[in-house]
Amino acid sequence: MTDLELGLRDVAAHLDFPPTPALLGGVVARLDRRRHRRRGLALAVAIGVAALAVAFAVPASRASLLRFFHVRGATVSVIDGLPPLTSHRSLGQPIPLDTAAFRLLLPSGRRPESVHAADGGYWLRYPGLLLFEFQSGGGPEVLKKATLGKTKVEYVQVRGEPGIWIGGRHALYLPGGPPVAAGRALIWQHGPLTLRLEAAVGLERALAIAQSVR
Amino acid sequence: MQPPGEEMLVERACRGDPAAFEELVLAYQSLAFRTAFVIAGDAADAEEAAQDGFVKAHRALRRFRRGQPFRPWLLAIVANEARNRRRSRGRRAALALRAAAEPGGAGNDPEEAALAAERRERILTAVERLRDDDRDVLACRYLLELSEDETAAALGIARGTVKSRTHRALSRLEEELR
Repeated sequence: MTDLELGLRDVAAHLDFPPTPALLGGVVARLDRRRHRRRGLALAVAIGVAALAVAFAVPASRASLLRFFHVRGATVSVIDGLPPLTSHRSLGQPIPLDTAAFRLLLPSGRRPESVHAADGGYWLRYPGLLLFEFQSGGGPEVLKKATLGKTKVEYVQVRGEPGIWIGGRHALYLPGGPPVAAGRALIWQHGPLTLRLEAAVGLERALAIAQSVR
Repeated sequence: MQPPGEEMLVERACRGDPAAFEELVLAYQSLAFRTAFVIAGDAADAEEAAQDGFVKAHRALRRFRRGQPFRPWLLAIVANEARNRRRSRGRRAALALRAAAEPGGAGNDPEEAALAAERRERILTAVERLRDDDRDVLACRYLLELSEDETAAALGIARGTVKSRTHRALSRLEEELR
């Protein structure tokens, strides 16, 4: 090997590549969409929104799809225009904590103010924090979210499992309902469950809360 | 580096096992992204190219010849995506690599370290001034440390061409450094 080749190898050893983005979520989301399209899933129609439909839920603006993020049971579509959103979100009557179909995870083990069974999962209400938990093993997606290109969306890890941080206003699509306005949220997988935390906190605090669930 | 049990993973992925393909994505996402980055010269383009490359590779699995190495086959798809993006931008992308800061650890001669850093910068700048095909072959062979076969696959050229082009690119780089 010549000096020049050794020099190039030395350069290679000192290169500062940009960090590799987490590609798996985007790849899986796109492959899932292809599978769903091929099967023509009636179920997808039944829950009202297929992933692409989220992007085209705004006939007036014809929002175009910029990017996808995906964790099990949830997809975030980054689009360039949000549909009209409602802020009303009725969670229905509270239920006792211990009547849920699976053991609910609680931040720092704290009991919530109220628990509501709705939207294919359970809503746990705390002061300044709303947690949604659902079982997401292989079924159709329960959560679909659309956000503007300018909103920060990124993959994160919570205790080694994949998650998505949405750093601003976005549309939340739940089965059979209209798009609802939502604020900062963290979605992550935890064993067989997928959780969504919404609170007016930054990423660091959201991760700390997510890591405390037990 | 080949992930353990790659042949089995590829076999399972070809039979339609999504978990096996996901493991291949995880194993190769860094190499795919870096390959796309040195060709496209832009992190956002590289991310798209790598993601598109994996999706296209998944579609093409039925055509993958069993027993062949998976890595060069994947790199060929990803590199093609990256070249398409570079072409569509209509201008030559800068390599956009920076030499990492050298920590001045104990035992390091600061003057020597500064000279080495300067030399790396000079080489990188000179590589950047080369024409695209020269730069690509050097980036694949020396910066990504791909084999000749992998470089041939990634650049869509014959192995013999990799050898001759590398030789030519090194000569031109030497001239740039004079």
